[in-house]
Amino acid sequence: MRLKLAVFVALAVAVLVVAGCGKEKQAAKSGKTYTIGMSQCNLGEPWRVQMNADIKAAAAKHPELKVIFKDAQNKTTVQQDQVKEFVNLGVDLIIISPKEARPLTKPVADAMDAGIPVIVLDRKVEGDKYTCFIGGDNRKIGEEAGKYMVKLLGGKGNVVELKGLMTSTPAVERHEGFMKGIAGSQIKIIFAADCHWLEPDAQKEMASALSRFPNPEDIDAVYAHNDPSAHGAYIAAKNEGKGREKRIKFIGIDALPHEGVRYVKEGLLTATFQYPTGGAEAIETALKILKGEKVQKNIILGTRVFTKENVDKGGEAL
Amino acid sequence: MTDVKTSPDIPPVTTEKSTPERNVTRRLLEFAGQFRGVLAFVVVFVLGIVFAPVSLKTGHSTFLNWATQNDILFEYAEIGILAAGMTLVIISAGIDLSVGSVLGFAATFFSLLLIGFGWSAPAAIAVTLLATAGMGAVSGIIISRFRMQPFVATLGMMLLARGAAKWISGGIKVQPGAKEWYAIQNSSPPIFDWMSSPVGPLGLKPITLAFIFSIIIFWVLIRFTSFGRHLYAIGGNEEAARLSGIRVGLVKTVAYTLCGLAAGVAGISNASRMTLGDPEAGFTYELDAIAAVVIGGTSLMGGRGGMFFTFLGTLIIAYISKILSLRGVEEAPRLMIRGALIVIAVLIQQSKKR
Repeated sequence: MRLKLAVFVALAVAVLVVAGCGKEKQAAKSGKTYTIGMSQCNLGEPWRVQMNADIKAAAAKHPELKVIFKDAQNKTTVQQDQVKEFVNLGVDLIIISPKEARPLTKPVADAMDAGIPVIVLDRKVEGDKYTCFIGGDNRKIGEEAGKYMVKLLGGKGNVVELKGLMTSTPAVERHEGFMKGIAGSQIKIIFAADCHWLEPDAQKEMASALSRFPNPEDIDAVYAHNDPSAHGAYIAAKNEGKGREKRIKFIGIDALPHEGVRYVKEGLLTATFQYPTGGAEAIETALKILKGEKVQKNIILGTRVFTKENVDKGGEAL
Repeated sequence: MTDVKTSPDIPPVTTEKSTPERNVTRRLLEFAGQFRGVLAFVVVFVLGIVFAPVSLKTGHSTFLNWATQNDILFEYAEIGILAAGMTLVIISAGIDLSVGSVLGFAATFFSLLLIGFGWSAPAAIAVTLLATAGMGAVSGIIISRFRMQPFVATLGMMLLARGAAKWISGGIKVQPGAKEWYAIQNSSPPIFDWMSSPVGPLGLKPITLAFIFSIIIFWVLIRFTSFGRHLYAIGGNEEAARLSGIRVGLVKTVAYTLCGLAAGVAGISNASRMTLGDPEAGFTYELDAIAAVVIGGTSLMGGRGGMFFTFLGTLIIAYISKILSLRGVEEAPRLMIRGALIVIAVLIQQSKKR
């Protein structure tokens, strides 16, 4: 019994030592260094993994910056705690990509009161107690996708819309923007479904669309709110076995290097529109703030379109 | 079955005739066994002092200060309150998988009463607690009256409560202005702010106090009342308890009711902390609560354990999580460390039985 207790204690110590090692701060005494705390709401979505990667890559170019990453595992309360921890630790700047506006408004405001500048990424907090907000514009992206669709189909055609989770703002905005983009053309949405951002759901819904519109010329294109859904739609068309995947144009959103951009390269998707993570911009802005420069309160990022023609050149800014 | 009553909360009833020397060794072993939780707690605390990073500004430990300790108690209060209720059920050799969902229901229902219908805080609290205690009672009655396995009955309640939370909220978070008919459109109910603002000289927040009082009240209940003694008896041997005239069904139903009540308190705390009612709140919290109870040393087989151990178990989980979070350790090693910890804690616990 006492032996086991000793084993337990030893293991606990060992585990914490291992967890702690390699993360020891090498506080460079010479030269001014800055510590940035980054709280990511979850790392379950590839887009957010990319955001962290972008921040890491951008920060690596500046040796005076050290970034501490924390993952809130999709729990708002955990993210609240993390902001508080960064304040207690005394970081020089906090970057947060909040899970939810309202519950995180106060922790962010408290950090600002403690004299720590806060950059809010992607989703906003309420009020204006933050230093800078950086985010994409889903409505504009949807609109660009709509305009592209009009051009692609020559102003006339039948489109299947595979939506993201319609209780979330990005999906609503990507839908509304698209409708604005195709307004005035003869493009019709003949089938629409909520696919909750999920590829398996998109695959199922697309299969339903295909069986409801069985003739080759029934469906001209698919507009999916994210690349995995567009990919799922492609797979569904391929599985149908009528070769319709070659005729139908698939358009997605997000353009992550390992997802949408790759699908475009492989010729599965016709186009994908980038939803920028803002990671690199956050580090640039952070440097400006830390050097005492004034920055814009709200930075809205543009989008890029990736097609077979421009994908090797890194897409085209819109 | 001599080990049935070796918890510190319940003095051993079985009187063994043994030589004085044997008694001393036994006592020593028992002493070490009893304070296993305390010892583990001390170890974790020391680890916290050693491994938590120092503040970049002041150079002091970010762990060893009252503000952080206060934060930890506040942040793990919800899990602690759930674990306190769960302890009652586990001592009776049961389990309640529904507490996380009931927490979510309570948070949503409480917010809906406050924000949607514009109720006063005391009325909203009372009705919310009544509702969640009712949910616990339903589980308890199904388990005791229809002899259903607690795992299955509370699994049903888990889905039911989660569904109810989504239903009453219409699937969206209950917050001011979320729907046009809500009584509160702009401001935030003052109770939310009050629940998470420091009161008194120590700066403890009402949510933290709810945790501490839950532990104390339930401790008194199982330590000093016949209900408590019956609970241990049922957990030790239900048939024997029944034969000795204990109203097993009633005692079990009360245990589940109190567990539901605790989940209600935790739900109100959650809503206050989030300043809204999230129908998804408390997802998988039941597992954290069970882990806290088990790490504390309460046996899942029933009949052994106590409230003070659950308090320590909650703190042990809280400290480990906090140290890992302060250091910015990634999710993957974090999960593995927590998994290993639970298994090791139970291993040690079982060694005592042999």
